[in-house]
Amino acid sequence: MAKPDLTDELKAPAEPLLPIEKKLIGGSLGLGLVLLAVLLLLNWIVPLP
Amino acid sequence: MSDTPISIAAAPPARLSEDALAVVIGLGAFVLALVSLLGADALGWLAKSSVWIDPGTALAPASKAYASLGGAGALVLTWLALTAVLSVAAFLLGDDVGRFAVRFTVAFVIAYGAWLAGNWAHLAAVTPAEEAKFGISWSLRLTNEGGFIVALLAGLVIANFFPAFAAWLKSAIRPELYIKIAIVILGAFIAVTVAGKLSLASSVMLRGLAAIVEAYLIYWPVVYLIARKGFGFSREWSAPLASGVSICGVAAAIATGGAIRARPQVPVLVSSLVVIFAVLEVLILPVIAQTFMAREPLVAAAWMGLAVKTDGAAIAAGGITQSLIEAKAAAEGIHYQSGWILSVTATVKVFIDIFIGVWAFILAYLWTNYVNPRPGAPKARLAEIWERFPKFILGFVATFIIALALSLGTGADASGRLAGAIGEANLLRVIFFVLTFFSIGVMSDFRRLWQDGLGRLAAVYIVSLFGFVIWVGFVISWLFFAGIKPPLAS
Repeated sequence: MAKPDLTDELKAPAEPLLPIEKKLIGGSLGLGLVLLAVLLLLNWIVPLP
Repeated sequence: MSDTPISIAAAPPARLSEDALAVVIGLGAFVLALVSLLGADALGWLAKSSVWIDPGTALAPASKAYASLGGAGALVLTWLALTAVLSVAAFLLGDDVGRFAVRFTVAFVIAYGAWLAGNWAHLAAVTPAEEAKFGISWSLRLTNEGGFIVALLAGLVIANFFPAFAAWLKSAIRPELYIKIAIVILGAFIAVTVAGKLSLASSVMLRGLAAIVEAYLIYWPVVYLIARKGFGFSREWSAPLASGVSICGVAAAIATGGAIRARPQVPVLVSSLVVIFAVLEVLILPVIAQTFMAREPLVAAAWMGLAVKTDGAAIAAGGITQSLIEAKAAAEGIHYQSGWILSVTATVKVFIDIFIGVWAFILAYLWTNYVNPRPGAPKARLAEIWERFPKFILGFVATFIIALALSLGTGADASGRLAGAIGEANLLRVIFFVLTFFSIGVMSDFRRLWQDGLGRLAAVYIVSLFGFVIWVGFVISWLFFAGIKPPLAS
């Protein structure tokens, strides 16, 4: 199996973020923060044993 | 999730997957344990180690019914049984049985020898009473589970100073198989641990949901952004790297590589990094947890599940954290019921594992339709969710449910015998942990960091892991688990 030469690959011009990548990053983070807030709320509502 | 990054491309065709084998072997051990409920002691011949100052007392059969075997006899039987079962597994995985058996024997001798060395009283004795019992004036107080660290160090020495020997051992170095078997057995152990405290257990599981959100929806996009914008990596490198750092290591990197149709070498190289940094985490984080989180054991437990990558390393870190925190608590006169810290780490990790297939499908859908659409190229299929689902989790769930049902549905006498029987199966779990630690060490050749331009990838990993993942993991573990304590031992 030939190993990719990372040094060469890193010299390649950076690929700009596509709109779909921006949506993936923003959407995931937004949904994650909302869900964490909901779970945190549940965490306070459900009494500890 | 798994720990075998190097052998993927060169492996011969397997007749059965490691996942399926792990379920079969783990369930086999569980069924043998259940036989004890019918009156026979099917696992009592397993070797059981104890903290020792006189080497002659380090080993004994698990059950007094097999006392005539002696410690050495029990160890030989244990080795024979493991070699036989795992040789069949190696055959089904497409390996040469003779080669595997010889190399497994060597690996077993070194790994179990390291485990026994870790049981030496000067390393393992915890309380002043134990030191007095062994007639010693000092101990590192690592508990007997410090033996895991000794096994890991033994593997690291082989990998970094005897690379030819490490390469020779390769066919026996199967951390993925070993840890999956251990996790299937662990399901039953967790069940009998939590059976009397279902309210606390369900509360822990509810909080485990936060781990899924954190790994997939917080860690992943941030690490991906760091790799893409901060370090200029291409999409092909950034996605497997983000999955390796965020989710569960090697299997996540490989699943992501497949999902986005990356070249096979990409997730393999990422996997090398995952294993190397997981070793560093196993060595460092449990000590930090013991130092700063001894009064919040379950925060520490969840933190291990969230911060340490690969199932093997995470659950290993949970085991070490458990022993270190229990030792510190015991020295202060607090005796927690053992097993809870490891159970929380395992629960968090398994929860995260479950969604690998779903995440891979989402990435596959986005990549084949929007990021890199190619006319005529196959699109993402829903079946990929099942194909990438880690099947050994089904074994874990099965042993957990069956053991829990038996524990709750039988009288105190049968329930006690069940706990004893699962305790014997747990000896196998410990041995598979030892083999996992040793294997991870043997695979961790740190010189790789300076090869193939891996240093730049490592920089992303370091920035993401030590600059973000570990601390966010700590904060969220604290938010969800602070104040929840394991039950005290009766």
